[in-house]
Amino acid sequence: MWPLAKKELRLLLRDRLSAAILLLMPLLIILALGLLTGEGFGQKPDNRLRISLVDEDLGYVDPVAVRDALAWLQVTPSAGLNAIPIQAGTVGAVHVANHFDAEAAPVIDALPRLTWGPYLQVQMGVAAEMTQSAEASKARFRRPSWASRVRLDLEQTEGLRVELISSRDELISSREKAKELVGNRKRSAVFIFGPRFTERVDKCSFLVDGINPFYRDGVSLEEIDAAAIKDPTQGTSAAIMEQVVQVSLMRVILPWMIGRAFRKLGDPSFMTLLADEVPSARIIMTESFRRALGPGIQRALKNLFRNYNLTGENWADLTKSDPRVDVGNRAKEYDEEGGNGPLQRGAKRYQILVPSYSVMFAFSLVLTVGWLFVSERRQGTLKRLRAAPLSRWQILLGKLLPCLALSFFQGLFLLAAGKLVFGMRWGPDSWSMGQQLLWLLPLVASTSFAAMGIALLVAAWARTEVQVAIAGTLLVLGLALISGCLVPRELMPDAVQQLTLITPHAWALDAYAQLFLNPEPNVAMVRTSCLVLSGFGAAFVLLAWWLLKLD
Amino acid sequence: MTMPVLEVIAVHKNYGAHAALKGVSFCVEAGEMFGLLGPNGAGKTTLLSIISHLLEPSAGEVRIFGQKVTPNGLELRRQLGVVPQELAVYGELTARENLHFFGEIYGMRGAALRQRVQEVLAAVGLEDRADSRVATYSGGMKRRLNLGAALVHRPRLLLLDEPTTGVDPQSRNHIFEGVRRLNADGVTVVYTSHYMEEVQSLCRRVGIMDQGCLKACDTLPGLLQKLQSVIRFRIPHVTPHLRERIKGLPEITLRERAGDLLEVECRDVKATLPRLMTVLTDLHLALVSLETEEPNLERVFLDLTGRALRD
Repeated sequence: MWPLAKKELRLLLRDRLSAAILLLMPLLIILALGLLTGEGFGQKPDNRLRISLVDEDLGYVDPVAVRDALAWLQVTPSAGLNAIPIQAGTVGAVHVANHFDAEAAPVIDALPRLTWGPYLQVQMGVAAEMTQSAEASKARFRRPSWASRVRLDLEQTEGLRVELISSRDELISSREKAKELVGNRKRSAVFIFGPRFTERVDKCSFLVDGINPFYRDGVSLEEIDAAAIKDPTQGTSAAIMEQVVQVSLMRVILPWMIGRAFRKLGDPSFMTLLADEVPSARIIMTESFRRALGPGIQRALKNLFRNYNLTGENWADLTKSDPRVDVGNRAKEYDEEGGNGPLQRGAKRYQILVPSYSVMFAFSLVLTVGWLFVSERRQGTLKRLRAAPLSRWQILLGKLLPCLALSFFQGLFLLAAGKLVFGMRWGPDSWSMGQQLLWLLPLVASTSFAAMGIALLVAAWARTEVQVAIAGTLLVLGLALISGCLVPRELMPDAVQQLTLITPHAWALDAYAQLFLNPEPNVAMVRTSCLVLSGFGAAFVLLAWWLLKLD
Repeated sequence: MTMPVLEVIAVHKNYGAHAALKGVSFCVEAGEMFGLLGPNGAGKTTLLSIISHLLEPSAGEVRIFGQKVTPNGLELRRQLGVVPQELAVYGELTARENLHFFGEIYGMRGAALRQRVQEVLAAVGLEDRADSRVATYSGGMKRRLNLGAALVHRPRLLLLDEPTTGVDPQSRNHIFEGVRRLNADGVTVVYTSHYMEEVQSLCRRVGIMDQGCLKACDTLPGLLQKLQSVIRFRIPHVTPHLRERIKGLPEITLRERAGDLLEVECRDVKATLPRLMTVLTDLHLALVSLETEEPNLERVFLDLTGRALRD
């Protein structure tokens, strides 16, 4: 068997042009498609208006949590700085202290400056570290930030999709990332909720001591520590987005201000003000009268404006309209899809293109293997092999093994080229190279095995070069088409997606998607795919052995 | 008494309704060079395929070195060298690589194999072009390599199926010499051909096949002695007196052909021809033409089947 395998490998490699085509052709196709297709490749087209946000809002602060965090930092400052899970807590506490507790300055000054993420997450980190209980930390921070309320309003608005931009790079803030995206014309506008957004909105009021956020064009972003970064070259698009955000801000802030003003009507200070403004009424404005007057005025106003709920917390409550049905349309984290440089290195589409074409070209070896068998038969050497002391299994495996090795090498070559040339990732960044290879190698091997199983099946069935060419080409193209190698499965209806699982390609693509696209891969799914692919391979080889006629 | 190297016992092979072999039986002794002669379609290749384990007989059996040939008899195949009618070598490999590969599949390895490959290259006269791709060889060189590929593993029984098809005279002679040398070294050879001259010049014993049957199987003299030599001559006037004189010659048969042509069949041309010349001289008859025809396999085949070998 080994001499036969060695001879086949020698014959395969001797044809250098074919070997080069086998390796370079997929690369060229991937390169061409990578350059021709843009962001969003492999995803269903989404015509909804995209609203991009950066949420730096620190939200509400629980003074107890701040005190506890600072105390914890003073006790174990080194643990807070070194351990990564605790770092988030450290950062949170630093910013909490920066903004709300001047007495913490000495502690803060002793800590290095760190970048920071969304405040709620950070706060949860502090609390979780200190209480060892996520539930306890949730209980502490019940009140949602105003930024999250605006976001919810946007999420519940039809025709919109909300994107949250946060930088994965520790050296660059989310705001800077947003500026970069707008500067690169990848986004026409990004809206930023600053760290004091909740604090500022909380102070918005019709009252004299409150913040008046309104002006001629709607809500003044500066007044509420918000900002819009806009691309002047995409003015129309940016203007539409700004209007959408303005409407959401109005829907969120206005009910809050009305309710606040309405509640003020029952406040004793308002009664004093009223008495000051109407001197003749001062005689009857006894203490008990004042206590009764406030609620009375509120009830009268409620009756007067009965079409509205003046204490409603949101627009739907205020206008007494049906609340929005939550369809689970949540904001999505910004996904870095574009690449860099002339090759668009690192673009997300390579995470789809490279495995797709690796799988497709693994199965294209069907033609090569078929021709190996047919040419052996045509030139009469098969007769010599049959007259030699070789069993059918030895002849079959002698052919299978070198082709399997070639297919495996081809798969690894394309993935390696994908990494080196196109900057693709072999798995989540949190995985070591060893861990990535631990899953990748069995997947490539089992895909090759399934491909070579089909190849042997064709070789066992076909008697002539023409039969190999027709059956092989139809199989390669047909299976590639229905399995999602050529047209991403995400674009297919759900039922068709399930149907594609009759092909080994689809199982391979599913596993690659887990490794290359999912930040937290479902390794059980990868394992299952490897087993199914091996099963396909074994079944095909057995069928080929049964069909193979060497005479 | 030594055991025959090859025993073919009442072998039949049917392809559907067509009977390719109809009860063929013969034996080949150790060290023998046995020829199978027959026209294309006589069943020679089918018979050789059965002996080579490539086909199973529909009935009957084949024994090699006393062991029955079965589809799974891998060990027995090590004793066989098969030279198929097709050029069964890899064009993309060199002659050395081809021979090395065919040696390896018979279990040969290392220095012994390299040494043997070199010997075979010399034996088939391909040392000079040993490292060139076979696709660049002439037809004759490929044929020689085709023979060499069957020799690397030192077979004890060599089966050659029309090994000189389409080769130039030089390569043919090379092949003949190689086969004779192998036979002289003790290798038993079964040689099939539809060229009467090849079989006649190489083989001591010959089987004649036609339409799936073994028509005759004997030594070459044994086959030839069944036929008489012919003296064919033409004279201006055939007279009754001449006929009487010729008929009076010993161990001859006179056959008259059209016109003035006469044929004399005899056992011994050398003895009969002077006697015939004496008769013609006595009668003052001048010869117009004269030819003699010794017995050969072509005539044997014609005699056995009623048609020429190359029909």
